[in-house]
Amino acid sequence: MSAPAIILERPQRWDAAFDPALTEADVDRLLATAPFNAMQPLAFPKRTPLREILRNDAKLHRFRRGEIIVRQGDYGSSAFLILNGATRVVLKPDLPPALLGRHAPVRKGLFRTLAQFWNGRRPPESFARSRLQASAGLGARVADQETRVFLQDLPRVLNAHRTEQMTAGDFFGEIAALSRMPRTSTIFADSDTAELLEIRWQGLRDLMKYDDALRRHINRIYRERALASYLRATPLFRHLDKERLDRVAEAVEFATFGDYDWSGDYKRLAQAGAVRPEKEPGIVVEGDYPNGVVLLRAGFARVSQKTGGGERTLNYIGAGQIFGLREIAHNWREKNRPVNFQFSLRAIGYTHLLIVPTRVMEEIVLPSLPARELPPLWPAAELSAEEPPPELARREQVGAEILEFLTENRFFNGTASMVIDLDRCTRCDDCVRACAATHDNNPRFLRHGPSAGGIMIANACMHCADPVCMIGCPTGAIHRESFAGQVVINPITCIGCKSCANNCPYDAIRMVEIRDQSGELMVDQEMRPITKATKCDLCVENHGGPACERSCPHGALTRMNLNQLDELSRWLGK
Amino acid sequence: MKRHRRQLFTGLPLLLVATVVTGYLHRRHAGALPGYAFLTGWVLLAAMLVLTFYNVWKKLPFLPFGRSEFWLQLHLYLGYFTVVLFLVHLNFRPPRGVFEIVLAALFTFVSASGVVGILLSRVLPRRLATRGGEVIYEKIPALRVACRTQAEALAVGPDSQSVVIGEFYLHRLADFFARPRNFWWHLAESRRPVAALLRELEDVQRTGSEAERVALAKLAELVRQKDGLDYHRSVQLSLKLWLFVHIPLTYGLLVFTALHLALVYGFSGGAR
Repeated sequence: MSAPAIILERPQRWDAAFDPALTEADVDRLLATAPFNAMQPLAFPKRTPLREILRNDAKLHRFRRGEIIVRQGDYGSSAFLILNGATRVVLKPDLPPALLGRHAPVRKGLFRTLAQFWNGRRPPESFARSRLQASAGLGARVADQETRVFLQDLPRVLNAHRTEQMTAGDFFGEIAALSRMPRTSTIFADSDTAELLEIRWQGLRDLMKYDDALRRHINRIYRERALASYLRATPLFRHLDKERLDRVAEAVEFATFGDYDWSGDYKRLAQAGAVRPEKEPGIVVEGDYPNGVVLLRAGFARVSQKTGGGERTLNYIGAGQIFGLREIAHNWREKNRPVNFQFSLRAIGYTHLLIVPTRVMEEIVLPSLPARELPPLWPAAELSAEEPPPELARREQVGAEILEFLTENRFFNGTASMVIDLDRCTRCDDCVRACAATHDNNPRFLRHGPSAGGIMIANACMHCADPVCMIGCPTGAIHRESFAGQVVINPITCIGCKSCANNCPYDAIRMVEIRDQSGELMVDQEMRPITKATKCDLCVENHGGPACERSCPHGALTRMNLNQLDELSRWLGK
Repeated sequence: MKRHRRQLFTGLPLLLVATVVTGYLHRRHAGALPGYAFLTGWVLLAAMLVLTFYNVWKKLPFLPFGRSEFWLQLHLYLGYFTVVLFLVHLNFRPPRGVFEIVLAALFTFVSASGVVGILLSRVLPRRLATRGGEVIYEKIPALRVACRTQAEALAVGPDSQSVVIGEFYLHRLADFFARPRNFWWHLAESRRPVAALLRELEDVQRTGSEAERVALAKLAELVRQKDGLDYHRSVQLSLKLWLFVHIPLTYGLLVFTALHLALVYGFSGGAR
């Protein structure tokens, strides 16, 4: 007898308003304020009227002078509009990590390394009370039920850093919100009456969609601030001079697909079988005319091929990767034998991408490429073949089961996932003990997790390419060590709000009750235990790399970038 | 598998060369070199200490001393070579006297348990992966209790209305759910006991009412789940148990070796 089907109600947008405290009077006031007063309500569809967008996707904040609004390096899903008062953006030099609530990990010296011999007897996650005092220069207070971090010595910050004031009507944070890139600057309130409207990504997307002025404004900023530098760093365009690169930048279109908040619901939907390639938003459909080369700027996309009644996954691609170049380069050289897109490309979760139109590719980009850098032509035999081309077939060595498993569970997001070969793992837990020995007697992962095809992805922080855990940390305690570094948590500034643990779609962050050095639980004034978020930090402070990987006697455990299927394929075939 | 083969291709030739060289040196110097037995004894002791160091190494994962995988390979091949050294030290003669016999027996048991352990470590993980239903060893008792609670509720709980199922449970299933069962059968990869139990369940099901058939189908599923837990327990316990033999015996061997050393130096007189 089969088990009854799990019927899930697909979560609806606006089930929960961004700011439940926002009143009708607030919305009226916003509608009377620029730029909303210049927008045409009739231009918005009935399903997403302007008023409802503001009521459900916007949140009012009031900041006092010195309170940090966004930090450099944070990931955010929203943009800000200054309604009243002023804010200040830090230009140069950047604020030091301590002022952003962060802690730059330092490799243990000889004494700290040797001290671990006797620290093994300490209670797990124990701290000296003095260590938990906030670092000098940074304070915290609670306002509107939110914890706000503020700069204590503002005059000194203003003296030591070049800053620029922003006033009512200015927008900021829209590029980071739209492209899911880290915030590029720190911005703090510059008046005690700073009132800001935070608009979450969905609302901003709709406002841009139905208001030409806002769309033009954001597109201009995007092209000026983000696009030119991104294109300059893309190998495909490295042979172009400034003038031709500017022409490419002018012609590039950008688009977003999928759901920005994919991490919240995908697991439930996947378990109910609702996540299928055919149901993911299509970016490119197999067989269509190749109208442009797709550059993934953020997020992930699935490359698939029609087979029978469905589609099979051939690969997935992430930020920095290109799709469709081979078809367009082929058509440019073989005008009498054009080909269409050979595969489909579908957004997985959230995808932000740039499209370089075919015309621009043919006129500017392709002529600049040396012949050896052009992708191979499509031989007639390969076009009619059922099998994927060799570069994709190589990746297929990981097997269809593992490929689907990694895709369905979004594991390709991990840049340092803990992969365990179940054929070799003797379940000895040496990895767990090694982790505990190097981390305050508290292992930072569970040797357990989803498995398929003989591998298990353990519940350990994967140090994601798209770290959704970093969205919404009120104190900046969870952060990347650097822009390309590990995701780490500063225990001193972590306030135990669980925001990161709730956001993590892989259950890799755990809240633990902390103790003092005698083993007594630390409690607040209401006698509730004080908790901190803990997770794998890839042994960033230890010498020799992750202790879990080094301690596996059978080579069954590795930390791996699952966005590189070649790496996984090599490891599986080892 | 490729890596194991690669390690074998590196380790085995080294082991063979070391064995041949040792055999050659033994033939040339045994009986001719003064204090030869002391020399081979000290080399043997040094090798044993290096082997024991692997266990110490595992307790110091924060020190950057390379990967455990490398040290295990060293441990294995040095372990095989230590058997050669041991035979050389004995001059290929059987041990004499109670003390020597105990010492030799300890050495043999330590070596044999190591060989058994590595064989288990190579074979059993694959079996666990093939069987599926991955479960953490420490969680097995709690899952077993949950299984038993569900089975009891079905068969003899307040909502259960079948005397047949109740009796069958008390006579055939209560003991099965009460504790881990069929340890050796699971190790031997045999499903005979659980197959027999399921056949008996099917017999009862054949003559039961519709409601009884539904309850018995659920009971059969619970039996399969419990059998899976027992399988994991047997295999995972075997993967752990050999170490509880290998390590204490190693330390016992070291204690006896120290005594052996004291006796040899205490009573050798001018033999050096």
